[in-house]
Amino acid sequence: MPRYAMIIDAKKCIGCYACQVACQMQNELGPDNAFIRFEDRETGKYPNPKYVIVPLQCQHCQDAPCVPVCPTTASHKDSNGLTMIDKDKCMGCRRCVAACPYNARTYLKDEGVVQACNLCLSLVKQGEAPACVATCLTKARYFGDLDNPTGEFAKQLAKAKPLRPDFGTRPTLLYII
Amino acid sequence: MWANKFPRRTFLKATAATAAAVGVGDVFSIGEWMKQANAAPVTKIPSLCETCSAACGMWVHVKNGRIWKVTGQKDHSQSKGRICARGHAGIAMAYHKDRITHPMKRIADNHFVPITWEQAYGEIAAKLKTVLKEHGPEKVFFSHNPRPTNKFYWPRLMAAVGSSTIQSHHSMCSTGRDVAYKWTTGGMATADIGKTKYIVFLGRNYVEGLSPSTAANMEAAHARGVTMIVVDPRHSNACLFASQWVPIRPGTDLALLLAIANVLLAENLYDKEFVDEWCVGFDEFRQGMKQYTPEWASTMTDIPAETIYAIARGLGNNRPASCIEQGYKAPNGCNYANGTQMFRMVACVNALLGNYGKDGGMKFSNPPKAGSLDAKKYPAPPKPKAARCDGAGIKGEFPLCQTSQGIVHLMPQRALEGKAKAGFLYRINVARNAPGPELLTKGYKALDLLVVCDVKWSETALCAHYILPECCPAEREDLPAVVSSTVTMRTAAIGLVHSECKPLSQIVTEFAGYIGAAKYFNFTQDDVANAIIKPLGVKLDELRVKGTIKVKAPAPKPLSFKTKSKKVELYCKAFADHGFAPVPQWEPPYSKAGKDTFVLIHGKQGFMSHTVTASDPYLLAIARRDGLERLWINADRAQKMGIKDGDLVEVASPQAKGRVRVKVTERVHPEAAYLPAGYGRLVPFLKTGVGFGISPNDFTPSRAEAISGHAMMMEVLVTVRKVGE
Ligand code: SF4
Ligand code: SF4
Ligand code: SF4
Repeated sequence: MPRYAMIIDAKKCIGCYACQVACQMQNELGPDNAFIRFEDRETGKYPNPKYVIVPLQCQHCQDAPCVPVCPTTASHKDSNGLTMIDKDKCMGCRRCVAACPYNARTYLKDEGVVQACNLCLSLVKQGEAPACVATCLTKARYFGDLDNPTGEFAKQLAKAKPLRPDFGTRPTLLYII
Repeated sequence: MWANKFPRRTFLKATAATAAAVGVGDVFSIGEWMKQANAAPVTKIPSLCETCSAACGMWVHVKNGRIWKVTGQKDHSQSKGRICARGHAGIAMAYHKDRITHPMKRIADNHFVPITWEQAYGEIAAKLKTVLKEHGPEKVFFSHNPRPTNKFYWPRLMAAVGSSTIQSHHSMCSTGRDVAYKWTTGGMATADIGKTKYIVFLGRNYVEGLSPSTAANMEAAHARGVTMIVVDPRHSNACLFASQWVPIRPGTDLALLLAIANVLLAENLYDKEFVDEWCVGFDEFRQGMKQYTPEWASTMTDIPAETIYAIARGLGNNRPASCIEQGYKAPNGCNYANGTQMFRMVACVNALLGNYGKDGGMKFSNPPKAGSLDAKKYPAPPKPKAARCDGAGIKGEFPLCQTSQGIVHLMPQRALEGKAKAGFLYRINVARNAPGPELLTKGYKALDLLVVCDVKWSETALCAHYILPECCPAEREDLPAVVSSTVTMRTAAIGLVHSECKPLSQIVTEFAGYIGAAKYFNFTQDDVANAIIKPLGVKLDELRVKGTIKVKAPAPKPLSFKTKSKKVELYCKAFADHGFAPVPQWEPPYSKAGKDTFVLIHGKQGFMSHTVTASDPYLLAIARRDGLERLWINADRAQKMGIKDGDLVEVASPQAKGRVRVKVTERVHPEAAYLPAGYGRLVPFLKTGVGFGISPNDFTPSRAEAISGHAMMMEVLVTVRKVGE
């Protein structure tokens, strides 16, 4: 089984939101529900400020705190190591939303269920890149298999690290910052 | 069956409601529906995005007869396989709640009633005939944002009417630049960012005023280690890839360029051979630049003199693979009183670098030539002789302004002066995208006849006597166009969502019949499309399947300049003849911030295109969630004024007051306050976007710059004060 993963080079992110909206369309989400969100940080003083934008989404943690809290097993780890949510089993209690330290889960009010980034598994299975990776205007996102890294993904892997190692959730999403 | 009635996302909701009604776990469960929906066959149809001027090639993925999503066409030069947020969201405009669904007639302020097409055509034709009889064709005008289909159909119709006044949106965009290059280099050269070693951006922002390819190009240049200098009062996101941010006092870029020229000349860093062979007026130019030392420019621009020396030397030492990027809107396009001369200086500095036609410098494009209709079989109306009513190209008014663009935002003023009587506006929202909404609205309403053709309600449509609803980009096929070395075309991805809307070619052709001009439209849209692509060796059926097709690029042409002298005019005689400085000299902007005031600057965000997208539910949700409508103020000044991040403030100019929240930041010059453009809708009955944010245009007076007539959109001082919640 491949272990799918994503690397995000935050130094290349221009905060254009293309990935967020592409993801909303791919996953048929409404305007107020998004799997990707952004945090930005400004440091330094005028005229030498520094600025960085960090796209956030489900980190597909190996030790995912959102999984054990789920009373219905809707929240689970799949055979590719991804953290997935079975919509049919989700009863909308939102314990997982509270448990996620990355604030990466979205409650879809209209449907009464929680959802999050599914790494576009349906596209990946057809041999395509996830929607956010395919559209990223500056190619800040890389998709690949941790067990069989190739191409650009393999090159970036050496530099990539978890965003918040202090959370101790061993994420599969890695960042270059 | 619901799918035909409701937008896709409402469809989901409707299904959820149905599922709840019949009980969860029934065959109608969401999970089951999603499985079925996911299994539904998806077709991919080629289209072009219409949320900005880049018109990216994309695939529309259609599922169950409804638009699902879009992906980029790899062969399209603007998208290169990637689509920005506006494109992903914008295709759903077909299902937008604020669409115009019928021909409309205004019967009172903000009050419209639906009428039939026949009634609309008939009444418009009758009123137009009265205007033509009483005032002649010189008081009739047409304004649009030129795109392949309207660029063909509307001007032909206006020629049949006898009117010469055809205007593009450029006086609110790039006219300052375009007039300046016309008289200086005779054509538009663009920066070769793929090969440059040293590039200076003056206000131009490749990653927010973006197309996917400009953002990718800047990232690639950064990865290549190119020195990129971003000169801007605001630390825009382009600075993420820049080697250096150089904050500048708003509207003083001309002084910086004068000083760069001064250093290049004084330190012999210019290309003598190029200047000898390709420039006129070097002696006058050299003489003119003597006084503009970096020390002088430093006091004007608030940039340290050492920085100016460093930039000039960086450009000079890397020539000819160095350049000043051409910009479009800021600060040379339409923003400041000195914009036209500022771009003259951009062109002159590039000439000193000898970079025209060179790798890494400024290059002229040489696109493959498209064909046109057989004039014998399809006779066109004679070229109109009537004088223009916007003053473009007219002695004593705006003699140097190019008539291919005209001065679009001036028409309401002209209407108030009785110089314009009837206007046709296609997909252009001047009343909101130009300064001075009150005057613009009053002026448009003073016309005897205003016809607006658009897909959704706009501030400008509210001024119209008649509104003609066009169908959305997803619902129509358009004429092909040559873009770089490709030919590309939009095809219809879905059927009409609102049955009364029509494609433009049909509207113009039908209306022509009502004014006795049918003989000029004796062809189908396919005939025109076939004529355009014929010399390119492309077949229409193939284009309809592929969307974008690469065609053979013509052999590169030797360097030439299409000015009067066939050279770069460092000294421009035409400018002298009309009383303008023939060699650029320092002219201050109108607005300089004082102790209590800011220059109100604005700029694009990567996910917004002015009012085109400001009512898009997805993009609007981003702006709301992340507070992106806020006014940026420099942290030091904010502290002195007792303003904290997130505070509500009142922004005021002599013309208007408005309330907005503040972003306190180190990323903006202390004399500038930055507002993102596009927010602050004024159509009371819009279902999206009303009551969110304010527009810089509210505060700025409606004016026209003396040389090219552009709108001077950042020439305004505002005060900012904290107000209670
Ligand atoms: S990021 Fe949050 S939702 Fe995703 S696996 Fe980790 S804890 Fe779970
Ligand atoms: S991988 Fe797919 S689901 Fe996850 S954020 Fe990207 S587009 Fe959304
Ligand atoms: S598409 Fe890429 S550059 Fe744009 S916001 Fe997403 S990660 Fe950042």
